[in-house]
Amino acid sequence: MDFGLSQEQREVRDLARKILSEQVSADTLAPYDEYQSPRFDRALWQQLLSAGLPAVAVEQRYGGMGFGFMELALFIEETGRSIAPVPAIAHCVAAMLPIQRFGSEAMKEAILPGAVSGELLLSAALSEYLNEDPGDPRAVTAVVDGDELVLSGTKSAVPFAAQSSHILLSARTPEGVAVVLLDTGSSGVTLHDLQVTTFEPHCELVLESVRVPAAMILTAHDGARIMGWIAERATAAICAHQLGASDFAMRLAASYTSERKQFDVPVATFQAVGHRMADCYVDVECLRLTTYQAASLLDSDVPATTEVRIAKIWAGDTGHRVSYATQHVHGGTGIDRDYPLWRYCLWLRQNEMSLGSSAAQLARLGSQLAAGEALFS
Amino acid sequence: MNIQFTEQQLALRDELRAYFRQLMTPELVEECERDMGEGGGPLWREALRKMGRDGWIGVGWTAAWGGRGMTPLEQFIFVEEVMRAGYPFPFLTTESVGPVLAEQGSDWVKRELVPKILSGELLISIGYSEPGAGTDLASLTTSAVRDGDEWIINGQKMWTSLAHFCDYTWLAVRTDPSAPKKHKGISMFLVPNSDPGWSCTPVHTLGGVRTNATFYDNIRVSNDHLVGELNGGWKLITGQLNRERLSLINFGPVSQLFNQVAKWAASAQLPAGGRMIDQPWVQQNLARCRTLIECMKLIVYKQSWAMTEGVLEMADASAAKVYGSEGFIEIYRMLGEIYGQAGLVRSGSAHATAEARKLERLYRTASIITFGGGANEIQRDIISAAGLWMPRASR
Repeated sequence: MDFGLSQEQREVRDLARKILSEQVSADTLAPYDEYQSPRFDRALWQQLLSAGLPAVAVEQRYGGMGFGFMELALFIEETGRSIAPVPAIAHCVAAMLPIQRFGSEAMKEAILPGAVSGELLLSAALSEYLNEDPGDPRAVTAVVDGDELVLSGTKSAVPFAAQSSHILLSARTPEGVAVVLLDTGSSGVTLHDLQVTTFEPHCELVLESVRVPAAMILTAHDGARIMGWIAERATAAICAHQLGASDFAMRLAASYTSERKQFDVPVATFQAVGHRMADCYVDVECLRLTTYQAASLLDSDVPATTEVRIAKIWAGDTGHRVSYATQHVHGGTGIDRDYPLWRYCLWLRQNEMSLGSSAAQLARLGSQLAAGEALFS
Repeated sequence: MNIQFTEQQLALRDELRAYFRQLMTPELVEECERDMGEGGGPLWREALRKMGRDGWIGVGWTAAWGGRGMTPLEQFIFVEEVMRAGYPFPFLTTESVGPVLAEQGSDWVKRELVPKILSGELLISIGYSEPGAGTDLASLTTSAVRDGDEWIINGQKMWTSLAHFCDYTWLAVRTDPSAPKKHKGISMFLVPNSDPGWSCTPVHTLGGVRTNATFYDNIRVSNDHLVGELNGGWKLITGQLNRERLSLINFGPVSQLFNQVAKWAASAQLPAGGRMIDQPWVQQNLARCRTLIECMKLIVYKQSWAMTEGVLEMADASAAKVYGSEGFIEIYRMLGEIYGQAGLVRSGSAHATAEARKLERLYRTASIITFGGGANEIQRDIISAAGLWMPRASR
């Protein structure tokens, strides 16, 4: 058991933190507020790609660094700390990883080098209306036609869909669940812009008899397992993003209350304030430990369903509590759009509600326990 | 980063589980339950000596001390398993004071007392609090006055738990009443509970657990009984408390209890049909507890790892104490809710299951550790100052 970072892990984290802290600030984020322009800093994305960070978990033969999920999670944590306007989770976790794991050799050679260099941008559609289980799609269906699949239906809230060249998604077939990599330029694909709380570019994806060629089908039937694999990693990645964002918000509040004076003393010296921040510290530590545990298990490719679920419950609870506590101890400054905290509150909320809220995850964990699973060893 | 036990650690855990299945005879279990999970009975004593003979108490101690030379993590696995087995392990002696004595004790302490701790023959109670010194511990007034080569100790301590069956008390005393800062005038002594000047009276608590008021009337001890530097006791107290905070948050027993309650709820049939666990609110309570305990496990494992690596942070020790102590209360409440009225049945009655009766008692005892071992308000002060660099109000 080792809770420390290896030399390589420290280097990945430090490099990401250096680039992102230099390139992302309240000033660089302001132009994206209220959807003035799509929240995607292409120059920053290219710089991160050149540094090798988005492809940290991609095999070297496709141009990646050849590390594992733990290193990728550390990179994602830094994109959360800076709430960087880049498609890290969609591109790296929800799309590149499953293509590398489940794609044919031809698909990997066709897609991964371009995704590593930035020529291609990938995303994944993981939710449908009222359905957050991508392994059990209902709204999008597929029928077999020769060696092609023909897809129809609607996926909700696909991040960076309008900027992406390809979107990975699941569809219900008569025999099971198919997983395909959709070329967004295909005939019958319509994107409707969707404005969400963080201003991240999202779209509703509507498919009308869209033909997907055999080369772009990851599986025609066995998709439940693959989408479960993806969902666990995307969920763990959201936890890592939440960890970075909540840690930053907490430290911002600690530093603000140490400077801000009332009654001639720093407000941090009031126990009521100090203790609220101490509770944030405990919450963030819990999120850190459960997230690192989930990432470490996924990195080792051992079963981690329960551990990912527990991490997401902490991501929801910690995000919610840290968001309100940090706003509160800042007073009016916390909600002032000229001060950086408010955007963090949006992200803490988005991460909380994405891929299963705490309540939804608790219900799933409860079902596991009722089935005699997930007990302590 | 690799948050999994090694094969060897898993093998150690399995070996310990098998060992404790043998050790925990029905007679010993009954004696421990009678003693309110505190220990002290004859079978309990004998079992402790057996663990000592079998080389378990010092599993993480170096060979020079007669230990097995493993790391604090293996030591923690041992403590987790012994507690999980339902044996009230005297961790304050072995895990908390023992290591301080091995580091800072006089030659006599190292030669005569420390080996007996590892062989399960010596027990130590902790004498910090006084009637007028609780959270503000540095204002304590129990004194040690030098008389030639000896020290004369006078005063009173409160909440000296386990003292009625311990051999020594790890006693905080004032040795320099004129020190400009009151915590600079404190030293640590080991005082024999067998001394005629030593006495104790019981204090009975909400949880049914006995603690004590202890009295020190002109007790004479040699300088060998002084631990660490004269007037340097405060550092030993805070170091010991950091270790104690970790020991208090042992997740072994609570994970075991959780499994028992979940299995019971999955088997209990409701009169109107269906199982107890089929009710959504029961699943919700169990899932919440599972989430809380998982994190408790990770917190203590990280602390054990940090001790092994020598990177134990004060803020993290305090965070573990706050999280664990308040977590236990929540867990006992939520698990107790599943039993409802059956969770109110005391151990003296045969009604309700053993786990339900245990929860009845645990719920009454759980409040102790939110203030014991350093009040959680003080822990939160430490967290915001040491963990977040926030300034503190002067006291």
